[in-house]
Amino acid sequence: MAKLNIVIGGVGGQGVITMGKMLIRAVKPEYKAVASETHGLAQRGGAVNVHVRIGDVYAPLVPLGRADYVIGLEAIEGLRNIRYACDSCVLVLNNKVQRPAIPKVALPTIDELINTAKNYVKVVVLVNAEDLALKAGNVKAANTVIIGTMLAVGKLRDFVDEEVLVNSLNDVNRKALYLGMENYDIVFSK
Amino acid sequence: MGRLLLLGNESIARGALEAGLAVAAGYPGTPSTEVIETLMKEKDRYVEWSVNEKVAFETAYGAAISGAYSLVSMKHVGLNVASDALMSSSYTGVEGAMVIFSAGDPSMWSSQNEQDNRYYGLMALIPVFEPFDPQSAHDLTVKAFEFSTKVKHPVLLVSNTRVNHSRTWVDVGELKPPVWGKLVKKPQVYSLVPAIARGNREKQLKRWELITEGVKEFNTIEGDGRKLIVTAGVGYAYVKELVEGDVRILRLGVSVPLNREQVLKAVEGVEEILVVEELEPIVETQLKNILFDEGIRVKVHGKDYVPRVGELTFEKVGKAVSKFLGLPFVEVKEPEVKIPDRPPALCPGCPHRSSFVDLKRGVVKGGLNTTFFSGDIGCYSLGVLPPFNSQDSLTEMGSSLGIANGIFRATNTVPVAVIGDSTFFHNGLSGLANAVYNNLPVLVVVLDNRVTAMTGQNPSPSREIEIEDVAKGLGVEFVKAFDPFNVKESIDVISEATRWVKENKKPAVVVAKRACALDVLDKVDGELPIAVVDEKKCTGCSICYDFFTCPAITVGKDKKAVIDQVLCIGCGACVPVCPYNAISLKGDVPKGWDEVWLS
Ligand code: SF4
Ligand code: SF4
Repeated sequence: MAKLNIVIGGVGGQGVITMGKMLIRAVKPEYKAVASETHGLAQRGGAVNVHVRIGDVYAPLVPLGRADYVIGLEAIEGLRNIRYACDSCVLVLNNKVQRPAIPKVALPTIDELINTAKNYVKVVVLVNAEDLALKAGNVKAANTVIIGTMLAVGKLRDFVDEEVLVNSLNDVNRKALYLGMENYDIVFSK
Repeated sequence: MGRLLLLGNESIARGALEAGLAVAAGYPGTPSTEVIETLMKEKDRYVEWSVNEKVAFETAYGAAISGAYSLVSMKHVGLNVASDALMSSSYTGVEGAMVIFSAGDPSMWSSQNEQDNRYYGLMALIPVFEPFDPQSAHDLTVKAFEFSTKVKHPVLLVSNTRVNHSRTWVDVGELKPPVWGKLVKKPQVYSLVPAIARGNREKQLKRWELITEGVKEFNTIEGDGRKLIVTAGVGYAYVKELVEGDVRILRLGVSVPLNREQVLKAVEGVEEILVVEELEPIVETQLKNILFDEGIRVKVHGKDYVPRVGELTFEKVGKAVSKFLGLPFVEVKEPEVKIPDRPPALCPGCPHRSSFVDLKRGVVKGGLNTTFFSGDIGCYSLGVLPPFNSQDSLTEMGSSLGIANGIFRATNTVPVAVIGDSTFFHNGLSGLANAVYNNLPVLVVVLDNRVTAMTGQNPSPSREIEIEDVAKGLGVEFVKAFDPFNVKESIDVISEATRWVKENKKPAVVVAKRACALDVLDKVDGELPIAVVDEKKCTGCSICYDFFTCPAITVGKDKKAVIDQVLCIGCGACVPVCPYNAISLKGDVPKGWDEVWLS
């Protein structure tokens, strides 16, 4: 049976868990779905990730090298999870680099991150998620923007019911979803 | 009856409600918190956050010995705090049902250690139920309550992070009305003076026989073959996804105790065994005991194949299973990607950040150039990170005062004990009483943000009881509060207290009072103010982002500070930090803003 593995990386507080929840809520009824979340101390501004697994699955975590999507709600956090990417992986990066709250960090630029990513994935997609979310009406809808992009690029569409997804959203998030479907850049494709 | 999208912990709460839970108590701790959080929404049951796990345990136990259905919840290390009560509860048994839920944290995502609490089952003679996913967590919880009433004994429900914090669709049943207790007086059972305890010990062992017989029904033997995999907890989920073909699997829903008859049935005709379990070889050891007693010579693999450190992953279980079945295992090479670390950080607007900055300056001004920062468990544990470096030790809830005592006795260095409000009530009180009683010169800094913040702003006793009053009541002579955002006041209070400790050779308590930023955000509506940097005044000195490190302050052109519009909550703490007055606040504050921060 088919499987879809997604690893979502982000900074604690960005709505990483919410995004995982939104995805499994919309999974077609014939598929199982499980999301593994990060709670507690690590959530406080630290690196967090959520593993979402859909289809014929039992285990909570995605195996290394088997993720069909790696998502960076913040660009560095996308790269932190790159070890999960499979050969045909789609990497979706929010066009944002957030400084870790430690003294004297040297921040990579988004271009450097994309260049590194090229070695590991098939497609790199860049989205201005926060700008689009603001346009939709609330900066907090950035993760919905990214779900929109995922529907446009990659296999997610086979596993979720778009109607269920759209119906579960309020107006702002619905707008954000559509904006994400239409406004992204494929900056690399193998 | 229906299907709900539930977190593992929520499905445990749901199971408890379907079993007839009446009384629940707990202390928050990742990854256990959501069980009590979920139960709190039920108005027809009694649910509380207790001051610590021991009190929570005794609350649930008190309810269960009166015939009620009860649950106590905590993280793995919390069971250490409750262990005194735990051991005795097994001697007496209960009248109703008592489920002790304890969530482990292998790989230590949010904990100081990764102890395997199934040992408590072996030590206390309490059966250990172990689910492998949210559905089995739900089902086993219902059964755990049934079993507890049937054998009149407390039961342990143990699960780890990946079960507690997995979310999936769960088939649920009907809620049952709560089963309350009635006044039962049986001092001949429940008053453990030696004569009674001796009798109880015999009865306990009889119940243990019954339990060992009864656990069979929670385990299953699946598949067939000459090779057997014995597995419990999340290990089963990995095995199930990895293994196909001629392999027999013994899945243990109860991992302590094993049932001899069932084990013998499972190993019949088997040539080799692999035990897949997270952390310690609890099942492995019991299994080997049985095989040895029965004179069965069959090779048992366990911790020689499956690592004892950290949580299970596909890779760990995959490697073990492949080796066991003689299949090739394709190892994925982990790429080395150079990116900065991102440790957890104090939130934008967190009052602790200011407290740590003020504290360092205050103690030096008070004449303590070198000191030992004896720390404790909470968000403020992050004070261990640069640039604060103000937690020289932190080992368990309430460790700050006791360790400070040892440091002073051994080195004569006047220590600073840093403790949060919730932790203060959890286990700091006895340490403070000891400091007064034994004349410990220590500066105690209580970071009072009115909540148990790390686990999700759970309420803390500091909302009802003033820490200053408690300290005075315990006999502390120097007690003062300050607002950590008021830099001058804070430094003055801290330096005065420091000098007082040195002169009087006694403890002083200062309390930093300002609410948790996340709690403030929950309580106010409307537009927030925002910090702005005057580019002309900013010299790029880096103090605000490298030494104050609010995550909302980032670096722009010429090292000048830039405020992240999304992250900044407009708390204003950075305003006095800039020596060049380059930072100011823009915008109006919402209604009730100051009151919420300082309440
Ligand atoms: S502390 Fe003031 S001068 Fe220094 S970088 Fe920050 S805003 Fe600029
Ligand atoms: S006002 Fe200053 S300290 Fe407060 S959140 Fe904004 S940048 Fe951080």
